[in-house]
Amino acid sequence: MTQLPVITNAAARSVEGIARVVRVTDDQLWLEPEQTTSCGHCSSSASCGIDTRQAPGIGSVSSRLQARRFVVDNPGGALGFREGDRLVVGVSEGSLLSASLTAYGLPLACALTAGSIVQGLYGDDLTSLLGMAGGLVLGLLGARFMARRLAARGDLAPHILRRARPDETCGNT
Amino acid sequence: MRDFALMMIGAALVNNVILARFLGLCSFMGVTTRVDTAAGMGLATTFVITVSSMADWAVQHYLLDAYGLGFLRTVTFILVIASAVQFTEMTIKKVSPKLFQMLGIYLPLITTNCAVLGVALLLVEGKMGFMSSTMFAFASSVGYSLVMIIFAGLRERLALVQVPRLFAGPPIAFIVAGMLAMAFMGFSGIATS
Repeated sequence: MTQLPVITNAAARSVEGIARVVRVTDDQLWLEPEQTTSCGHCSSSASCGIDTRQAPGIGSVSSRLQARRFVVDNPGGALGFREGDRLVVGVSEGSLLSASLTAYGLPLACALTAGSIVQGLYGDDLTSLLGMAGGLVLGLLGARFMARRLAARGDLAPHILRRARPDETCGNT
Repeated sequence: MRDFALMMIGAALVNNVILARFLGLCSFMGVTTRVDTAAGMGLATTFVITVSSMADWAVQHYLLDAYGLGFLRTVTFILVIASAVQFTEMTIKKVSPKLFQMLGIYLPLITTNCAVLGVALLLVEGKMGFMSSTMFAFASSVGYSLVMIIFAGLRERLALVQVPRLFAGPPIAFIVAGMLAMAFMGFSGIATS
């Protein structure tokens, strides 16, 4: 029987993406992630919100990307990157999963638990709805606390892996 | 309780959103190149589907049904879903800007995910109470996430094996997706009554 190849070093793998250097200061690099999409860009991309060439404005892809700019420490310009450089940045796989669980899993679990308890106690739809909304708010507060702990441990900080090749895109890193 | 459990198993496995109802196929093929990104997308979608189903139930019950505006259902649900995504994005950004930087990339993709609207419309057909409809939506989205993660795992393996040149890439992925759908058809044998 043919053996499937074993994926080794899984723990050290990271989720990679491409970011462009948009500003360099004495101590910091400002990076803007390149847009990734769930589909290949087709000829209809201009009408479905995927097109990255659309004019900046509220809700546009450009404004979303601007909102996702992040900073990497660059003490004394030691990293040697300039504005316009394209870099491959990464976060560890475990960080992505724990961040997802913190941001989405915890509030959802709190909301469903609170909703179930209220439904069991009162059996009324409107009360259950309010209970679930209350649970969601509590869960979001819990997520805020957990996110602070993750950030303090440095788990949420992306790190620079290397310069991106000229032909490298988010889909073929 | 037993009815709840059976309904949730039915929504997650027997009538799986992706493999039985063929909804959300865009993200199914687009975001499943790696298990971790598929899990992130799955969790984000689970959150949005559940929250928007809560809002959809309230809108359907207290606005559309109450005032005889059922003909506005689809457009209203699209508005509710877009608002739910925007709410999620703003909340995550407020709760933790660092989390938003890491996870915000998935949220714009969910707005155009037909699985979210599909589940909302299925809930109306089911004429369920609030808790049942929320649990149905949650179970449907868990089924969605489960298939995304399984398929991403298979594609990670596929990337390491040699396949004939004509089948490399999406063609072999579609064949594997078909086999996965056939495997899930086995769940239809579960007696739910």
